[in-house]
Amino acid sequence: MSRFSRSILVLALAGATSAGFAFDHYKGIGRQATPAEVKAWDIDVRPDFKGLPKGSGTVDRGQEVFEEKCASCHGTFGESNEVFTPLIGGTTKDDIKTGHVKGLSSGDLPQRTTFTKVATISTIFDYIQRAMPWTAPKSMKPDDTYAVLAYMLNLAEIVPADFTLSDKNIAEVQKLMPNRHGMTTDHGMWPGASAAKGGIGNGGKPDVKNTACMKNCKTEVRIGSGLPDYARDAHGNLFDQNRSFGPVRGIKTGGAAAAPVVATANAGSGPLDLATRSGCMACHGVNNKIVGPGYNEVQARYKDQPDAAARLALKVKNGGQGVWGSVPMPPNGEMKDADINTLVAWILSGAR
Amino acid sequence: MATNPMKIRATNKDGVTEVKVLVSHEMETGQRKDASGAIVPAWFITELTAKHNDRLVLAGELGTAVSKNPYLAFRFKGGAKGDKISVSWKDNKGESRTDEAAIA
Repeated sequence: MSRFSRSILVLALAGATSAGFAFDHYKGIGRQATPAEVKAWDIDVRPDFKGLPKGSGTVDRGQEVFEEKCASCHGTFGESNEVFTPLIGGTTKDDIKTGHVKGLSSGDLPQRTTFTKVATISTIFDYIQRAMPWTAPKSMKPDDTYAVLAYMLNLAEIVPADFTLSDKNIAEVQKLMPNRHGMTTDHGMWPGASAAKGGIGNGGKPDVKNTACMKNCKTEVRIGSGLPDYARDAHGNLFDQNRSFGPVRGIKTGGAAAAPVVATANAGSGPLDLATRSGCMACHGVNNKIVGPGYNEVQARYKDQPDAAARLALKVKNGGQGVWGSVPMPPNGEMKDADINTLVAWILSGAR
Repeated sequence: MATNPMKIRATNKDGVTEVKVLVSHEMETGQRKDASGAIVPAWFITELTAKHNDRLVLAGELGTAVSKNPYLAFRFKGGAKGDKISVSWKDNKGESRTDEAAIA
């Protein structure tokens, strides 16, 4: 054996040793999570209602909470298509009976809504509890989550106006969900054996049938059409004009000048950290509009107004609407006044 | 044919009442064709009125340009908690509907 191959052997042995460390749960690093820590993270609610907290809420209470925390984005009746797709609509009494939303297959729906798609009510409960409201996720008490869900169910005409939703009767409501039979697991994306054999998947069989071409195949892929060069800049950079979340993206048009602006602020700096922590950056960019205006736009508008800082601080605290379009800014009553003033001063000084 | 109820929510703040209404109506334009190629007959709301107690606060003539299940919101001065808001519409088939809500 040459010296070369022996050194490979040594390297392989060294690799095996370090792999041994890796399987030893990173000895000396970190510690086991305590049961209390695991419990704090373990908030998921499953379709069989495992993990569902105890509690209850009425439709009336739900309307109050919805108006306060949800309506600014979702609309009073969950109908708004302004910021997100509507929550409510598109389901019929017939759908509640059959458990299949007919509009999804007949093409009668102008747009899908949450209630036309979702099959399990536990999913909505989990989502509200986990992610809503956008500016303060995980802040809702179980009773308020039940209440908001009861209000949404009432809007969707699934439960009457005097209904009280609780952990006791949520399973009954599941039997009324308009699209409860609309979910299939008969595809390769779900693990396990087929449903007939007691699993939830189909045994890993893909649901696409891509047959390899064996003769007379195309040798070259040609793109049939595209945006002509003279039209690329006709409306500015399309990429910047699309919202930065959701499936729709614009093409990056124009030359280097039109390349998307990258936030130049130092990631470790205090005010930007504070803005990120407070949820501001979900809607505002430093140099670009997202849902709300970019900080550069805010600064440009208010820089010559001496009382701007006080007025803006009030707006951050109480929310506002109309100055930058119809999408409202939710109130941020939970933020400290000092933090708001820091942020406003930072924004007005150019957000650097 | 039975009509579906409107959803109405009215709130009073600082002497101004804001009313939000979600109307349930097909609002067919008469331009659409069904699967067999026949024109779907026009069916839309022509008149919509809103009253605060018995005072008329909003009157509108709607047409085919308005979407299915229209949403509208408006404000008027006055109104007090518990007052009655009633909204009614008439459509081109001669059907009509009135729904009521109390100011919260």
